[in-house]
Amino acid sequence: MAGILGAVIGQGFESVLAAAQEGSEVAFSRLWRDSNPALLRYLRVIAPQAAEDVAAETWLQVVRGLAGFRGDEQGWRAWLFTTARRRAIDEARRRSRRPEKAIEETLPGWLPTAPDTADLALEQIGTRSALSLVARLPPHQAEVILLRVVAGLDNQTVARLLGRSPGSVRVAAHRGMRTMAGILADADVTL
Amino acid sequence: MPNFLWPGHRDVPMIGDTSLAALLAGTELPPGAVSELRPLAEALAELRARPASDELEGEAETLAAFRDQFGAPRMARRPPVGKARSRRRPLPVKAAAAAAAVLSLGGIATAAYAGALPATVQRFAHDIAGAPAPGSQPALAPASAHPAATGGRAYGLCTAWAHAKAHGTAAQRAVAFSTLAAAAGGAGNVTAYCATAAPPGMSPSQSPQPSPAPHATGKPSGLPAPHASGKPTGLPSPHGTGAPTVRPTPHSTGKPSGLPTPRHSGH
Repeated sequence: MAGILGAVIGQGFESVLAAAQEGSEVAFSRLWRDSNPALLRYLRVIAPQAAEDVAAETWLQVVRGLAGFRGDEQGWRAWLFTTARRRAIDEARRRSRRPEKAIEETLPGWLPTAPDTADLALEQIGTRSALSLVARLPPHQAEVILLRVVAGLDNQTVARLLGRSPGSVRVAAHRGMRTMAGILADADVTL
Repeated sequence: MPNFLWPGHRDVPMIGDTSLAALLAGTELPPGAVSELRPLAEALAELRARPASDELEGEAETLAAFRDQFGAPRMARRPPVGKARSRRRPLPVKAAAAAAAVLSLGGIATAAYAGALPATVQRFAHDIAGAPAPGSQPALAPASAHPAATGGRAYGLCTAWAHAKAHGTAAQRAVAFSTLAAAAGGAGNVTAYCATAAPPGMSPSQSPQPSPAPHATGKPSGLPAPHASGKPTGLPSPHGTGAPTVRPTPHSTGKPSGLPTPRHSGH
């Protein structure tokens, strides 16, 4: 059951990237369609109040830097998600500076949103439900899981992206998985 | 009241190294894996599931920004990605500029330059020589922006921009402006473009607005630069990798992120 998201361009990536960098709209569209769903899933957990906005800002920045980018598909994704992460952090700061916003509204960018366990059990675990499951983890664990599973980055890349050691990223992934398995067992979800 | 974060009702399943690797990679769980991991594997599969339609919305806005950055006329003529291109290295913008310089020179000079240029530039020069109006940015300047400002679309884009400027987020402003600028044929043409934009059903000549001054586009005062939306300066990221977040001139720096990529370090 290997995923639909992930390194779907694979071998052809180099030529797609090169064409996009030369201005091919078709090629750039392919990069966008390949990456935007994963990007949104990541942002819906780490910046739930502004996922679409942050995604749009991320892409604008990527468009501006595209000609100067060098790297393979893993590097491309690392760049995309690094950019998204910084935009999400900026967005969270911007929100927290807004005086009219209640503190509860500024924090959730880094806090899990917790639906009822009953909701998890009743509906099929669709993508949205799976994302809310991840969102219940402590932020670092949630981010590690998303970057590994949704963004398709390897442990080393995630460690660099987050500024942590590879060991701590591995531990966070392990703990996150155990916690989610526990939540699912507790909710008695059967599929 | 159960503790959702770390349920204590049941034993939290142990996850061995092989199982963890399989869960992270989305591959089949090993035969010995505990059955409690199966729902988790299903949930993770959903995280990787086929994109939903709402996850593919917004492409037009990003493509508009792309068009604005790379120039629409040339791009529309690009052949689809094919095998012949697979070995090609990305064409740096500097090389594109060199190609443009070659095209603007006479035959002898062209030959002299061409001999010294890399193959990508030669090909690029050929490509844009074959395209209509390679220097089309000047051609799209104010005069031609007027006929392009056709009724409803122009009016809608200009209204959207005005609204985003007044009430929108940085992203909405950036998207609205880049879409508008693409339609107007460049950021500098926006003022003139919107000056003639008539509401749907009205021709530009019936527009209630006064006719624009012919050279009003030189300095579109009050229009923010389209790419000024992200303001990273002065905001250190917590795990800062050293590189500033936004580089206004990405081509010259060549380092869009602070992340070195393992296999392609040279640039």
